Amino acid sequence: MMSRPSTLALVFAGAIALASCQEGSSFTSAPTPTPTPTPTPPPTGATFNVEPCLTQMVRPGVTVAILFIPDTLKLDFSQPSLFPNGRALPDPVIDYTLAALFLDLTVHPITTLHSIPLGPPANDRPFRSQFPWLAPPQGNPPLDQGLGRNFDIRTDPASAYVRVDRMGMPALATALISGANRIPYNDDDPAVDFTFKWVPEIQGNLTVLTNALADDFDRAGLAICAEPEA
Amino acid sequence: MGGTQVAFDVRTAAIAITSLAAFGALFLVAQRAIDAADHFDPPTLTDPKVDPLPDAAADIADVYLFYTDTDLVLALTFSGPQGTGLPATYDRDVLYRLNVSNDGDPRTTEFPIEFRFGHDGTSAGFSVTGLPNGVTMVGPVETNLEKDGILARAGLFDDPFFFDLQGLSETRQTGTLSFDNQRNFFANQNITGVVVQIPRPMIQDGNRQIDVWSETARFGGQLE
Repeated sequence: MMSRPSTLALVFAGAIALASCQEGSSFTSAPTPTPTPTPTPPPTGATFNVEPCLTQMVRPGVTVAILFIPDTLKLDFSQPSLFPNGRALPDPVIDYTLAALFLDLTVHPITTLHSIPLGPPANDRPFRSQFPWLAPPQGNPPLDQGLGRNFDIRTDPASAYVRVDRMGMPALATALISGANRIPYNDDDPAVDFTFKWVPEIQGNLTVLTNALADDFDRAGLAICAEPEA
Repeated sequence: MGGTQVAFDVRTAAIAITSLAAFGALFLVAQRAIDAADHFDPPTLTDPKVDPLPDAAADIADVYLFYTDTDLVLALTFSGPQGTGLPATYDRDVLYRLNVSNDGDPRTTEFPIEFRFGHDGTSAGFSVTGLPNGVTMVGPVETNLEKDGILARAGLFDDPFFFDLQGLSETRQTGTLSFDNQRNFFANQNITGVVVQIPRPMIQDGNRQIDVWSETARFGGQLE
């Protein structure tokens, strides 16, 4: 897919900047503490109600809230296999997620930001058309040759292991769970999500983001799903 | 869904945003929303900038779930992205699980598909269990394993995720983000992953929803 060059710029500073925002530079440079951003008052005092965002439909029968809570990828065989119905390898999940969270989907299709495109529109390597689907590794890394027979694979029960990470929906934990809650959120599971334990957290963070971004979407000519508070 | 009835707590947060035009339109996104799918999260366990001993091997990057005319496909990538000269990560002490529910209730796990790694001398292998019909497979990495029509593979792949993260780094350093749709941090990066493909009749229950979430766990506890 051809992509148009697009330079978007923003100034962003605030308490929501997370230490978890890793751009991978840790692989190429020494770890450095993430500087604490200087809080700056919002440009406007506008506050928004994001409930219309959580209750809008992203695909038939599925609201934004249902999509994110519980934190699972959800797949309906009666609908096309395209995010947010499951997650296929080529799907531009971030652009679609941002559209679902911020835009009024009755006005703008979920493809709106991807159609710009906002981010890079596709992977840099074509995916395979059959199993294993993912593209072969790039460069010339040392690869196993498919040898060996008697592998020392553990047979310990799952109870002998301690959770490190969990993930269902892309970007959810990163975008809508604040730093202090990342570990407790990570330690939960969909059954706990289903008690709506994390709804206030998700709704609160989405509100903060919406309050900050609303005027910018407005200037972009995009209708948002959130409604101004009376 | 009753969740939206819960009153939210607006946290104290201060955000200032300005923007520049591109193609006559302004598009802004919050940097936290676009960092990555899950790379380096949770930070105090897997982020080398936060945790002095990050558990890179157990750091989930992305989960994929899609179907074809004949099969359901699940993939999990982890311990990356990384440069193209580096080997894959096959950590014997990490359990990788794709929790699959096929009954429409996301709270239950009908198929806890588990991947584990081991070694035979210098060669790496893996096992996959929890598949439909009680299928289990063991074999070398970088090889397609097949049993009863189910395919499984563990290996090194091109990182399938794509997004511009350099702009986010610049944002952090300068307070100004230049976001470029022709810049993809995950380009020219590899990642370790597991893929499993299951014939739909073995796992599809009519049109009931499939739910999938992934988790990693370390034998004997988290790295200290």
